Amino acid sequence: MRNKTIISFVVSMMVGFFVTLSAQVPEKPNPPRLINDFAKIFTPQQVAALEDTLVRFSKRTSNQVTIVTVDELGGMDASQFAYEIGEKWGVGGAKHDNGVVILVKPKNETKGQAFIATGYGVEGVLPDASCSRIVNNEMIPAFKNNDYYGGVVRALNVILPVLAKEYSIAEYEKGESGSVVAGLVAVLFGMLLVFIVFLMSGNSKDNDNDRDGDSGTFGGRSSAGDVAAAILLGSLLGGSSSGRSGGSFGGGSFGGGSFGGFGGGSFGGGGAGGSW
Amino acid sequence: MKKTWIVIAVVAVVVISLFGWVKGMYNGMVEQEETVNKAWSQVENVYQRRADLIPNLVNTVKGYAAHESETLQGVVEARAKATQMTVNVDDLTEENIKKYQAAQGDLQQAIGRLLMLTENYPDLKANENFRDLQAQLEGTENRITVERQKFNEAAKEYNTNIRKFPTNIFAGMFGFEKKGYFEAQAGAEKAPEVKF
Repeated sequence: MRNKTIISFVVSMMVGFFVTLSAQVPEKPNPPRLINDFAKIFTPQQVAALEDTLVRFSKRTSNQVTIVTVDELGGMDASQFAYEIGEKWGVGGAKHDNGVVILVKPKNETKGQAFIATGYGVEGVLPDASCSRIVNNEMIPAFKNNDYYGGVVRALNVILPVLAKEYSIAEYEKGESGSVVAGLVAVLFGMLLVFIVFLMSGNSKDNDNDRDGDSGTFGGRSSAGDVAAAILLGSLLGGSSSGRSGGSFGGGSFGGGSFGGFGGGSFGGGGAGGSW
Repeated sequence: MKKTWIVIAVVAVVVISLFGWVKGMYNGMVEQEETVNKAWSQVENVYQRRADLIPNLVNTVKGYAAHESETLQGVVEARAKATQMTVNVDDLTEENIKKYQAAQGDLQQAIGRLLMLTENYPDLKANENFRDLQAQLEGTENRITVERQKFNEAAKEYNTNIRKFPTNIFAGMFGFEKKGYFEAQAGAEKAPEVKF
């Protein structure tokens, strides 16, 4: 009897061992979520802010962007790792294959690596060369300062408007100023909204508390309008400091919904990455 | 009289269900073969994509390292050979795929040599156009790996099906033939290391 228990224990150990050996790419998250911070490089607030932004973005544009952070790649290339996550999880819609996987392997005992993998459907708007530039110019400089959140937000500031076809990747590549231009647009947009709210709320001048209330409404309104612009604005507001403060951009005031799940999108190995 | 009708009815039922069974099996094989063909055209697409990048790559490198003409010439020739070699989807035999893979492998090695050589030219490596090309080339190698993998999976599913009993009998009758696979070649098929 006891022997049997020992044998079954050993067998289950061995099974467990082989399962961990073969399972290199993390399982699809359940319940589904877009931010999968396995390496714990973001604070809970940052995760919530990113999740909220990306969930809203996917609801608005149907493009699914997922961020995955892992401590190690299990001997795989970053490209293969990101591709397998995209393909196995089915990031993006099945019809349009419009998913993007942003993989970050923070620098620890081994070098840091980042990769942006694109689904079949977004290879056109996000070509490999652009992914390479986004990784090398937006993400890695921030990652080198251990500002993972800031780097990811900077990358999203380029990727999301491009995916939403709000500006073309060519504009970004031309002067690298695309995000600045879009940022200015976002600021103007925000000012306009504040102005409208200001007009609508009439006597808010009298009371400072009211003003705070207004800025809360502004968050809500902008989410109904343009999430990408809100991120841009948020990151601009937070940009001067560490980026941590930018974490407030999507926070409580948005109060977003939950992510409905990956849509079965397919990947073909597109994208690019870099290391530091 | 009644008996004859029963016999006819039984025969009819048997024939109809037999027909349905064979039809299902046949159409299943057709569908799987279509999947394999589609996967093959994807494979050809990504190899073509690589071939399309090469003239630009060669020209860019030439601007900085014109005297490395031998290596450059090697890439151009390997590209010509690789693009000449095509395999019809009706002819996806092991032998043909091997030839195709060999031609593409030669091109890959030639590109690898060229990229290795560019290590000696810092100005070239700093060139924005060249960096974009490198990213594109890397991405194309990844795509090649993926599409070959997808082709192998589709071919395996199809091959397994047509060799199973009783499908194998009908596969033979209707001329469904085994498809070849891409083989992992040690070294030669490894994507050239591109470092920034």
